[in-house]
Amino acid sequence: MLRGSNVPVGLFLWSVCIFLVEAQETDSVKIVTLSDITVSASYAKSLSRSSVVPINVAGKVFLREHTAGSLMQTLEHIPGVQAIDIGAGFSKPVIRGMGFNRIAVVDNGIKQEGQQWGIDHSLEIDAFNVERVMLRKGPASLLYGSDAIGGVIELTRLLPPLGNVHGEAILSAKSVNNLIGGSFMLGIRRKDWYVKGRVSAQYFGDYRIPTDTVIYLTQKMPIINRRLKNTAGKEMAASLMVSRYINAYSADYCFTSLQQSAGFFPGAHGIPDLSRLTDDGNNRDIGLPHSTVLHLRASTHQTYAFNLHTSIKWDAGFQWNHRREYSAFHTHYGTQTPPVADPDKELDFRLATLSSTFRFLLQPAPCWKHTAGWDLQYQDNAISGYSFLLPAFRRLTSGLLWLTDFRPSELLTLSGGLRYDVGYLQTEGFADPYLPAYLTSRGLSQESIEPFLFRSYPVRHTSENFSGSIGLSAQISEEHLVKFNLGNSFRLPTPNELTSNGVHHGAFRHEQGSPSLKPERGYQADLSYSFEKENVFTLTVSSFAAFFSNYIYLRPTGEWSPLPHAGQIYRYIGARSFFSGTELSAVVSLPGDLGYALDGDYVYSLNCEDRIPIAFTPPASLRQTLRWKIKPFTLLLQWQSVAVQRRVSRNEDPTYGAQLFHATLVLTLVGDITLTLAARNLTDIRWFNHLSFYRRIEIPEPGRNVQLLIRIPVTFTFKQK
Amino acid sequence: MKVKTIFFALAALTCSLLNACNDEGDTEKPVIDLIKPEKGAYLAIGGEHGVHFEMKLSDNDALNSYRVQIHDAFDGHDHQKTRSDDPEPFFYDSVFTDIHGQRNANVHHHAIMIPEGVTEGNYHMEVYCTDISGNQAYVFRNILLGHEEEDDHDD
Repeated sequence: MLRGSNVPVGLFLWSVCIFLVEAQETDSVKIVTLSDITVSASYAKSLSRSSVVPINVAGKVFLREHTAGSLMQTLEHIPGVQAIDIGAGFSKPVIRGMGFNRIAVVDNGIKQEGQQWGIDHSLEIDAFNVERVMLRKGPASLLYGSDAIGGVIELTRLLPPLGNVHGEAILSAKSVNNLIGGSFMLGIRRKDWYVKGRVSAQYFGDYRIPTDTVIYLTQKMPIINRRLKNTAGKEMAASLMVSRYINAYSADYCFTSLQQSAGFFPGAHGIPDLSRLTDDGNNRDIGLPHSTVLHLRASTHQTYAFNLHTSIKWDAGFQWNHRREYSAFHTHYGTQTPPVADPDKELDFRLATLSSTFRFLLQPAPCWKHTAGWDLQYQDNAISGYSFLLPAFRRLTSGLLWLTDFRPSELLTLSGGLRYDVGYLQTEGFADPYLPAYLTSRGLSQESIEPFLFRSYPVRHTSENFSGSIGLSAQISEEHLVKFNLGNSFRLPTPNELTSNGVHHGAFRHEQGSPSLKPERGYQADLSYSFEKENVFTLTVSSFAAFFSNYIYLRPTGEWSPLPHAGQIYRYIGARSFFSGTELSAVVSLPGDLGYALDGDYVYSLNCEDRIPIAFTPPASLRQTLRWKIKPFTLLLQWQSVAVQRRVSRNEDPTYGAQLFHATLVLTLVGDITLTLAARNLTDIRWFNHLSFYRRIEIPEPGRNVQLLIRIPVTFTFKQK
Repeated sequence: MKVKTIFFALAALTCSLLNACNDEGDTEKPVIDLIKPEKGAYLAIGGEHGVHFEMKLSDNDALNSYRVQIHDAFDGHDHQKTRSDDPEPFFYDSVFTDIHGQRNANVHHHAIMIPEGVTEGNYHMEVYCTDISGNQAYVFRNILLGHEEEDDHDD
């Protein structure tokens, strides 16, 4: 796992510590003797103290107690985090109002790469395989390069538990979409080897919404049996990890495969004929339109300690992301005939990513540590399908970094770093064989057709960037912890921002790239304060302000698109922009095993040139949780208040607020078997999520959802020779 | 003391930055009040006067232009390719910029001509309107094209 940053000390200390312990414990995998809770609590605390930007850790207990529809909906319980929901089962992350390519998801040291720019493209991660999540809010470009401008979600594996054979069976069920899911894991530890495998599967039907009709663009669309048609889906995942620990050397090899298929409500892709909304008697079939994704990944993590002060780490990975979008063959071009093979395949993206991150760690004195690093990533995207949106491209990025952490005492941490990045992107031109003929048939002159002979021009784009940050974390006294960080971050324009030119059926508008875009640059200040009186009261307030000299967004141009069903053209441009916000989190212990927690967040955004808000700014929200812990039960009652969002961008509708109630009951039985029963939206109210994919077409959020999660762990110890 | 200072700094940071910029840009969509053709209206093929098209457009700032599209919806799936043995489906797409700069516009014209020879049946009419900032409004109508008398004689 690569870590370090404007935040690094704790992380590094922790990983190096483990590393050194491992180095000393010959021929055996390190054994964790503390319970999960103690480990995560102390880990979180030491991490927080040594990190100069806000950092949250969600361990097993957190993930279990906040069971929700998807991984991101679970993480939404952390202030500053939101999920863009794509129906009831899939979602993608947003941190402090930034999503898509502005945050990085790092799974086991390798940045997850798919087609994350798309609004209906969900996170391709097996939620059952997530053991611990570390969330870094704010710019982390220094650590992860381009894309980590808004924050990072790091998924890490826990160390293997006691015993040389351990396994886990998880069963999951949800009422809102009749989901049935399960996951099985088996880990074997023998001498210096550790092997772990997991298979998971989830199947779900069309989800329920608490309404009978949806009114979209004055068309009344019936929601038969209160189920949103064609939102069924499935997900299958498998992973295998092999680790080896030999003295100062450790290595692991990870292979994962994930396949997702999800239908889309026909109304989300143009005005549907009402006949397509009638009940087909099967709420588990995936009809058209739908998407399928296959994500394959092979990665390795290697570490070697030369001595107590010097070590190296190397992460390398290959990812293959194959996304296909299907929609009944349609064309407005008289000369276009359906393809012979796969006639309904509208878009097809095949993205291959090779990544490598190398870190050299040097600790000349116990209080001072340096990290030097070299990152490299190569991507190749191929396309097919009867429609066109994004051209084929190749992209090479590389960065050099140096980080330093100075920790004169346990109570004070100073961190800083510098990074230099270069990026090269080459896209293939795409000449649409049908568009010119179509436009001629529509009576356009040869002259006005000229700009459309090429849907996308070939582009060669080179950019470079310097970034840096400096910060401190100070434990002023037993109770007070203060952090301050100043940093700049950057993001290279993505291929879709530079060269896309077409209608994405998920967005239902003509999106056009601008080949001359400059990298996005942001300057951010973070300030946070924590007060902690152990077992009585804790409070954390974090504020941030960020200025972007070139924030890239889709701007409506007022020019009419010549493409059918497109309205006006939206073009990617950069603008000076400003983001600011605050997160608040407080926990109070009450008498009688009761606890009360308050979590809130607010984000303000402004496009300083047009003087309008930025699209997808999350509304202010507040969560109040009452927790009652009496063994073997933990009961959580939650009241979630979502404010109205009136600050909207052009062609984005305001969204009313909502009051939601949730309840969770966790029962821990012998052998650490846990049973989680969670009910969300208890009052079954009809509400809208400003960030939901289906919000645009006035489709409310899922209704009451009761979920059951049973987790059965097993551990055996055999005598080892 | 220190704590107070920190709190003050946090509050000051948030407040000052919040006040630094204000929304002044226009995010309000124009309003389309499409009067004719009505929902499910019957339009005559080969009519000499053209389609009676009437609507009121308004915007808080200034209108830019509007676009009218008519395309077939024969097979129930609005975007399906029509078979080659089908007769010629009617298609219309035109942009009108005569409203540019106005706040309120009464549109009334007969510019849409449906020539003889096009196929009868279900069609969709789509009207888009933008203001000068790119805010876009949209109205969708199901209409019918045929050879009977048009149900609209009030012009």
